[in-house]
Amino acid sequence: MVKGNWALFEEDFWSINAILQTLMRSSSARSVMLIDKTGQLINSIGEPPGFDVTSFSSLAAADFAANAQLAEMVGEKDFATLVHQGQNDSLYLSMIANRVILVVLFDRKTSLGLVRLKARRAGDELLEVLNKLFDKLQYRNEEVIATPLGAEFAAEAESEIDSLFSD
Amino acid sequence: MSLINYSSREINCKIVYYGPGLCGKTTNLQHIYSRVPQETRGKMISLATEMDRTLFFDFLPLELGQIRGFRTRFHLYTVPGQVYYNASRKLILKGVDGIVFVADSQIDRFDANVESLVNMHDNLAEHGLAAEKIPVVMQYNKRDLPRVVSVGDLERELNPQGSPFYEAVALRGTGVFDTLKLACKLVLKTLG
Repeated sequence: MVKGNWALFEEDFWSINAILQTLMRSSSARSVMLIDKTGQLINSIGEPPGFDVTSFSSLAAADFAANAQLAEMVGEKDFATLVHQGQNDSLYLSMIANRVILVVLFDRKTSLGLVRLKARRAGDELLEVLNKLFDKLQYRNEEVIATPLGAEFAAEAESEIDSLFSD
Repeated sequence: MSLINYSSREINCKIVYYGPGLCGKTTNLQHIYSRVPQETRGKMISLATEMDRTLFFDFLPLELGQIRGFRTRFHLYTVPGQVYYNASRKLILKGVDGIVFVADSQIDRFDANVESLVNMHDNLAEHGLAAEKIPVVMQYNKRDLPRVVSVGDLERELNPQGSPFYEAVALRGTGVFDTLKLACKLVLKTLG
Protein backbone atom coordinates (compact mmCIF):
# COMPACT_ATOMS: atom_id res chain seq x y z
CA MET A 1 0.00 0.00 0.00
CA VAL A 2 1.15 3.48 -0.78
CA LYS A 3 0.86 5.98 2.00
CA GLY A 4 0.81 9.69 1.47
CA ASN A 5 0.51 11.21 -1.97
CA TRP A 6 -0.16 9.00 -4.87
CA ALA A 7 -0.13 9.54 -8.57
CA LEU A 8 -1.74 8.05 -11.60
CA PHE A 9 0.24 7.82 -14.83
CA GLU A 10 -0.87 7.89 -18.43
CA GLU A 11 -0.44 4.16 -19.11
CA ASP A 12 -2.25 3.15 -15.91
CA PHE A 13 -5.03 5.59 -16.64
CA TRP A 14 -5.67 4.00 -20.03
CA SER A 15 -5.58 0.46 -18.61
CA ILE A 16 -8.13 1.52 -16.00
CA ASN A 17 -10.20 3.28 -18.62
CA ALA A 18 -10.36 0.13 -20.77
CA ILE A 19 -11.51 -1.97 -17.80
CA LEU A 20 -14.23 0.52 -16.94
CA GLN A 21 -15.42 0.67 -20.56
CA THR A 22 -15.70 -3.11 -20.73
CA LEU A 23 -17.57 -3.18 -17.44
CA MET A 24 -20.03 -0.58 -18.60
CA ARG A 25 -20.75 -2.28 -21.89
CA SER A 26 -20.98 -5.83 -20.55
CA SER A 27 -23.24 -4.88 -17.64
CA SER A 28 -25.40 -2.39 -19.62
CA ALA A 29 -24.79 0.18 -16.92
CA ARG A 30 -25.45 3.89 -17.39
CA SER A 31 -22.10 5.01 -16.10
CA VAL A 32 -19.11 3.80 -14.17
CA MET A 33 -16.90 5.85 -11.88
CA LEU A 34 -13.68 5.24 -10.05
CA ILE A 35 -13.18 7.32 -6.90
CA ASP A 36 -10.24 7.56 -4.54
CA LYS A 37 -11.34 6.54 -1.07
CA THR A 38 -10.67 10.02 0.23
CA GLY A 39 -13.42 11.26 -2.11
CA GLN A 40 -11.61 12.41 -5.22
CA LEU A 41 -12.87 11.38 -8.62
CA ILE A 42 -10.32 9.45 -10.69
CA ASN A 43 -12.34 8.67 -13.80
CA SER A 44 -15.92 8.64 -14.97
CA ILE A 45 -17.21 7.07 -18.15
CA GLY A 46 -20.55 6.50 -19.79
CA GLU A 47 -23.52 8.81 -19.83
CA PRO A 48 -22.47 12.18 -18.50
CA PRO A 49 -24.26 12.09 -15.14
CA GLY A 50 -26.86 14.78 -14.57
CA PHE A 51 -25.38 15.52 -11.18
CA ASP A 52 -22.25 17.12 -9.75
CA VAL A 53 -19.65 14.33 -9.86
CA THR A 54 -17.29 16.07 -7.45
CA SER A 55 -19.96 16.17 -4.74
CA PHE A 56 -21.04 12.68 -5.66
CA SER A 57 -17.47 11.42 -5.16
CA SER A 58 -17.11 12.96 -1.74
CA LEU A 59 -20.46 11.53 -0.62
CA ALA A 60 -19.68 8.08 -2.02
CA ALA A 61 -16.40 8.02 -0.09
CA ALA A 62 -18.18 9.17 3.07
CA ASP A 63 -20.83 6.52 2.53
CA PHE A 64 -18.15 3.86 2.33
CA ALA A 65 -16.28 5.19 5.32
CA ALA A 66 -19.42 5.28 7.46
CA ASN A 67 -20.36 1.76 6.41
CA ALA A 68 -16.88 0.51 7.24
CA GLN A 69 -17.40 1.76 10.79
CA LEU A 70 -20.80 0.08 10.94
CA ALA A 71 -19.18 -3.16 9.75
CA GLU A 72 -16.61 -2.94 12.50
CA MET A 73 -19.33 -2.46 15.09
CA VAL A 74 -21.11 -5.62 14.05
CA GLY A 75 -17.83 -7.53 14.06
CA GLU A 76 -17.13 -7.53 10.30
CA LYS A 77 -13.78 -6.47 8.86
CA ASP A 78 -15.56 -4.32 6.31
CA PHE A 79 -18.50 -4.26 3.92
CA ALA A 80 -16.64 -4.69 0.66
CA THR A 81 -19.65 -3.80 -1.46
CA LEU A 82 -22.67 -1.56 -1.00
CA VAL A 83 -25.85 -1.48 -3.01
CA HIS A 84 -28.35 1.35 -3.05
CA GLN A 85 -31.50 0.36 -4.83
CA GLY A 86 -33.86 3.03 -6.12
CA GLN A 87 -37.12 2.97 -8.02
CA ASN A 88 -35.39 3.61 -11.35
CA ASP A 89 -31.68 4.01 -10.77
CA SER A 90 -29.42 2.05 -8.47
CA LEU A 91 -25.83 2.17 -7.34
CA TYR A 92 -23.35 -0.61 -6.83
CA LEU A 93 -20.19 0.39 -4.94
CA SER A 94 -17.19 -1.77 -4.28
CA MET A 95 -13.87 -1.07 -2.54
CA ILE A 96 -10.75 -2.20 -4.39
CA ALA A 97 -7.26 -2.60 -2.96
CA ASN A 98 -8.49 -0.70 0.07
CA ARG A 99 -7.75 2.43 -1.95
CA VAL A 100 -10.35 3.13 -4.63
CA ILE A 101 -14.10 2.76 -4.93
CA LEU A 102 -15.69 1.40 -8.07
CA VAL A 103 -19.17 2.81 -8.61
CA VAL A 104 -21.66 1.47 -11.14
CA LEU A 105 -24.80 3.50 -11.84
CA PHE A 106 -27.45 1.37 -13.51
CA ASP A 107 -31.15 1.41 -14.27
CA ARG A 108 -33.86 -1.16 -14.98
CA LYS A 109 -32.35 -2.09 -18.34
CA THR A 110 -30.05 -4.44 -16.44
CA SER A 111 -30.06 -6.41 -13.19
CA LEU A 112 -28.13 -6.24 -9.96
CA GLY A 113 -26.96 -9.83 -10.52
CA LEU A 114 -25.34 -9.01 -13.83
CA VAL A 115 -23.81 -5.79 -12.52
CA ARG A 116 -22.38 -7.61 -9.53
CA LEU A 117 -20.91 -10.37 -11.68
CA LYS A 118 -19.26 -8.00 -14.13
CA ALA A 119 -18.13 -5.59 -11.44
CA ARG A 120 -16.37 -8.40 -9.58
CA ARG A 121 -14.50 -9.34 -12.72
CA ALA A 122 -13.57 -5.71 -13.36
CA GLY A 123 -12.54 -5.41 -9.70
CA ASP A 124 -10.02 -8.25 -10.09
CA GLU A 125 -8.54 -6.60 -13.17
CA LEU A 126 -8.37 -3.21 -11.50
CA LEU A 127 -6.68 -4.75 -8.49
CA GLU A 128 -3.93 -6.03 -10.75
CA VAL A 129 -3.39 -2.63 -12.40
CA LEU A 130 -3.46 -0.82 -9.06
CA ASN A 131 -1.04 -3.21 -7.39
CA LYS A 132 1.44 -2.67 -10.22
CA LEU A 133 0.94 1.08 -9.89
CA PHE A 134 1.50 0.98 -6.13
CA ASP A 135 4.68 -1.07 -6.60
CA LYS A 136 5.90 1.47 -9.10
CA LEU A 137 5.05 4.35 -6.76
CA GLN A 138 6.76 2.75 -3.81
CA TYR A 139 9.83 2.25 -5.93
CA ARG A 140 9.93 5.73 -7.39
CA ASN A 141 7.87 7.66 -4.90
CA GLU A 142 10.14 10.60 -4.16
CA GLU A 143 11.41 11.03 -7.69
CA VAL A 144 7.93 10.75 -9.17
CA ILE A 145 6.19 13.13 -6.84
CA ALA A 146 8.90 15.77 -6.87
CA THR A 147 9.81 16.00 -10.53
CA PRO A 148 6.95 17.61 -12.43
CA LEU A 149 5.76 20.11 -9.86
CA GLY A 150 8.67 21.84 -8.19
CA ALA A 151 9.26 25.48 -7.30
CA GLU A 152 7.76 27.06 -10.41
CA PHE A 153 4.53 25.21 -9.87
CA ALA A 154 4.35 26.42 -6.27
CA ALA A 155 5.06 30.01 -7.28
CA GLU A 156 2.42 30.01 -9.97
CA ALA A 157 -0.08 28.32 -7.68
CA GLU A 158 0.55 30.91 -4.99
CA SER A 159 -0.23 33.83 -7.27
CA GLU A 160 -3.37 32.05 -8.45
CA ILE A 161 -4.44 31.51 -4.84
CA ASP A 162 -3.84 35.17 -4.07
CA SER A 163 -5.92 36.39 -6.97
CA LEU A 164 -8.83 33.96 -6.55
CA PHE A 165 -9.24 33.83 -2.81
CA SER A 166 -9.86 37.34 -1.62
CA ASP A 167 -12.71 39.38 -0.22
CA MET B 1 -3.03 12.32 0.61
CA SER B 2 -3.29 14.40 -2.52
CA LEU B 3 -3.96 12.63 -5.76
CA ILE B 4 -1.95 13.62 -8.82
CA ASN B 5 -3.43 12.31 -12.04
CA TYR B 6 -0.82 12.63 -14.79
CA SER B 7 -3.19 11.47 -17.45
CA SER B 8 -6.02 13.92 -16.93
CA ARG B 9 -3.41 16.31 -15.47
CA GLU B 10 -5.24 17.01 -12.23
CA ILE B 11 -4.13 17.56 -8.67
CA ASN B 12 -6.62 17.21 -5.83
CA CYS B 13 -5.84 18.19 -2.24
CA LYS B 14 -7.94 17.89 0.90
CA ILE B 15 -8.06 20.54 3.62
CA VAL B 16 -10.04 19.88 6.79
CA TYR B 17 -11.43 22.56 9.13
CA TYR B 18 -11.27 21.16 12.65
CA GLY B 19 -12.35 22.60 15.98
CA PRO B 20 -14.93 22.43 18.78
CA GLY B 21 -18.68 22.69 18.25
CA LEU B 22 -19.97 26.13 17.18
CA CYS B 23 -16.48 27.57 16.72
CA GLY B 24 -17.25 28.73 13.17
CA LYS B 25 -15.97 26.03 10.82
CA THR B 26 -19.09 25.97 8.69
CA THR B 27 -19.20 29.79 8.78
CA ASN B 28 -15.70 29.83 7.26
CA LEU B 29 -16.85 27.65 4.38
CA GLN B 30 -20.02 29.64 3.89
CA HIS B 31 -18.05 32.85 3.64
CA ILE B 32 -15.64 31.33 1.13
CA TYR B 33 -18.56 29.98 -0.88
CA SER B 34 -20.23 33.38 -0.97
CA ARG B 35 -17.12 35.24 -2.10
CA VAL B 36 -15.22 33.13 -4.61
CA PRO B 37 -16.13 33.43 -8.30
CA GLN B 38 -18.79 30.99 -9.40
CA GLU B 39 -16.47 29.21 -11.84
CA THR B 40 -14.02 28.57 -9.01
CA ARG B 41 -16.37 26.84 -6.64
CA GLY B 42 -18.41 23.68 -6.89
CA LYS B 43 -21.58 22.88 -5.01
CA MET B 44 -21.37 23.19 -1.25
CA ILE B 45 -22.74 20.18 0.54
CA SER B 46 -23.80 20.30 4.18
CA LEU B 47 -24.87 17.19 5.97
CA ALA B 48 -26.47 18.99 8.89
CA THR B 49 -29.23 18.43 11.41
CA GLU B 50 -32.44 20.43 11.39
CA MET B 51 -30.79 22.72 13.89
CA ASP B 52 -28.05 23.57 11.37
CA ARG B 53 -25.42 21.72 13.34
CA THR B 54 -23.02 19.74 11.17
CA LEU B 55 -23.88 16.07 11.41
CA PHE B 56 -21.29 14.46 9.19
CA PHE B 57 -19.42 17.12 7.24
CA ASP B 58 -19.61 20.17 5.00
CA PHE B 59 -17.86 19.91 1.69
CA LEU B 60 -16.79 22.65 -0.70
CA PRO B 61 -14.66 22.00 -3.78
CA LEU B 62 -12.57 24.89 -5.12
CA GLU B 63 -10.79 24.93 -8.43
CA LEU B 64 -7.68 27.03 -8.95
CA GLY B 65 -7.66 26.46 -12.68
CA GLN B 66 -4.69 25.33 -14.73
CA ILE B 67 -1.32 25.68 -13.08
CA ARG B 68 1.55 24.62 -15.29
CA GLY B 69 -0.83 22.37 -17.15
CA PHE B 70 -2.39 20.80 -14.04
CA ARG B 71 -6.00 21.46 -13.05
CA THR B 72 -5.57 22.05 -9.35
CA ARG B 73 -8.42 21.58 -6.90
CA PHE B 74 -8.84 21.93 -3.19
CA HIS B 75 -11.55 20.03 -1.38
CA LEU B 76 -12.52 21.77 1.84
CA TYR B 77 -14.21 19.73 4.54
CA THR B 78 -15.41 20.58 8.02
CA VAL B 79 -15.82 18.03 10.78
CA PRO B 80 -18.78 17.96 13.15
CA GLY B 81 -17.56 19.71 16.28
CA GLN B 82 -19.79 18.16 18.88
CA VAL B 83 -17.98 15.69 21.10
CA TYR B 84 -20.24 12.71 20.40
CA TYR B 85 -19.64 12.73 16.64
CA ASN B 86 -16.08 11.49 16.93
CA ALA B 87 -16.54 8.56 14.55
CA SER B 88 -17.50 11.00 11.79
CA ARG B 89 -14.60 13.30 12.62
CA LYS B 90 -12.14 10.47 12.34
CA LEU B 91 -13.48 9.53 8.91
CA ILE B 92 -13.17 13.02 7.52
CA LEU B 93 -9.50 13.19 8.49
CA LYS B 94 -8.73 10.25 6.23
CA GLY B 95 -6.36 11.42 3.51
CA VAL B 96 -6.04 14.96 4.85
CA ASP B 97 -3.34 17.19 3.30
CA GLY B 98 -3.74 20.26 5.47
CA ILE B 99 -5.67 21.34 8.56
CA VAL B 100 -7.20 24.61 9.67
CA PHE B 101 -7.85 24.48 13.40
CA VAL B 102 -10.58 26.96 14.23
CA ALA B 103 -10.47 27.90 17.90
CA ASP B 104 -13.29 29.73 19.67
CA SER B 105 -11.68 32.70 21.45
CA GLN B 106 -14.39 33.02 24.12
CA ILE B 107 -13.18 32.40 27.65
CA ASP B 108 -15.87 29.83 28.43
CA ARG B 109 -14.99 27.83 25.30
CA PHE B 110 -11.33 27.56 26.15
CA ASP B 111 -11.52 24.00 27.48
CA ALA B 112 -13.53 22.93 24.45
CA ASN B 113 -10.66 24.10 22.22
CA VAL B 114 -8.13 22.11 24.20
CA GLU B 115 -10.34 19.03 24.15
CA SER B 116 -10.85 19.31 20.39
CA LEU B 117 -7.14 19.73 19.76
CA VAL B 118 -6.29 16.65 21.82
CA ASN B 119 -9.00 14.77 19.97
CA MET B 120 -7.52 15.88 16.63
CA HIS B 121 -4.09 14.54 17.56
CA ASP B 122 -5.64 11.24 18.70
CA ASN B 123 -7.62 10.87 15.49
CA LEU B 124 -4.63 11.73 13.32
CA ALA B 125 -2.56 9.17 15.18
CA GLU B 126 -5.20 6.54 14.44
CA HIS B 127 -4.65 7.21 10.74
CA GLY B 128 -0.90 6.92 11.30
CA LEU B 129 -0.43 10.67 10.88
CA ALA B 130 1.32 13.20 13.08
CA ALA B 131 0.15 16.81 13.24
CA GLU B 132 3.78 17.94 12.99
CA LYS B 133 4.00 16.40 9.52
CA ILE B 134 0.86 18.06 8.15
CA PRO B 135 0.51 21.78 7.44
CA VAL B 136 -1.67 23.31 10.15
CA VAL B 137 -2.98 26.87 10.28
CA MET B 138 -4.55 28.08 13.52
CA GLN B 139 -7.48 30.47 13.35
CA TYR B 140 -8.52 32.31 16.51
CA ASN B 141 -12.12 33.09 15.73
CA LYS B 142 -14.74 35.38 17.30
CA ARG B 143 -12.20 38.07 18.21
CA ASP B 144 -15.02 40.64 18.17
CA LEU B 145 -16.78 39.16 21.20
CA PRO B 146 -16.38 40.80 24.61
CA ARG B 147 -15.04 38.02 26.85
CA VAL B 148 -12.18 36.49 24.89
CA VAL B 149 -8.87 34.87 25.80
CA SER B 150 -5.83 36.91 24.76
CA VAL B 151 -4.02 35.77 21.64
CA GLY B 152 -0.90 35.24 23.72
CA ASP B 153 -2.69 32.79 25.98
CA LEU B 154 -4.29 31.00 23.04
CA GLU B 155 -0.91 30.69 21.39
CA ARG B 156 0.69 29.32 24.52
CA GLU B 157 -1.98 26.75 25.23
CA LEU B 158 -3.12 25.70 21.78
CA ASN B 159 -0.12 26.23 19.55
CA PRO B 160 3.08 25.00 21.13
CA GLN B 161 4.15 23.80 17.68
CA GLY B 162 4.22 27.40 16.51
CA SER B 163 1.97 26.88 13.50
CA PRO B 164 1.04 30.12 11.74
CA PHE B 165 -2.12 31.74 13.05
CA TYR B 166 -4.72 34.34 12.11
CA GLU B 167 -7.24 36.21 14.19
CA ALA B 168 -10.69 36.05 12.69
CA VAL B 169 -14.30 37.09 12.81
CA ALA B 170 -15.64 34.46 10.44
CA LEU B 171 -19.19 35.80 10.51
CA ARG B 172 -17.93 39.02 8.92
CA GLY B 173 -15.30 37.25 6.84
CA THR B 174 -12.34 38.77 8.68
CA GLY B 175 -9.34 36.46 8.47
CA VAL B 176 -11.20 33.76 6.55
CA PHE B 177 -9.35 34.15 3.26
CA ASP B 178 -5.99 34.77 4.94
CA THR B 179 -6.39 31.42 6.68
CA LEU B 180 -7.50 29.61 3.54
CA LYS B 181 -4.77 31.09 1.38
CA LEU B 182 -2.03 30.12 3.76
CA ALA B 183 -3.39 26.60 4.22
CA CYS B 184 -3.54 26.11 0.43
CA LYS B 185 -0.02 27.42 -0.05
CA LEU B 186 1.42 25.24 2.67
CA VAL B 187 -0.27 22.18 1.19
CA LEU B 188 1.07 22.95 -2.29
CA LYS B 189 4.56 23.32 -0.84
CA THR B 190 4.39 19.76 0.41
CA LEU B 191 3.75 18.63 -3.17
CA GLY B 192 6.54 20.63 -4.74
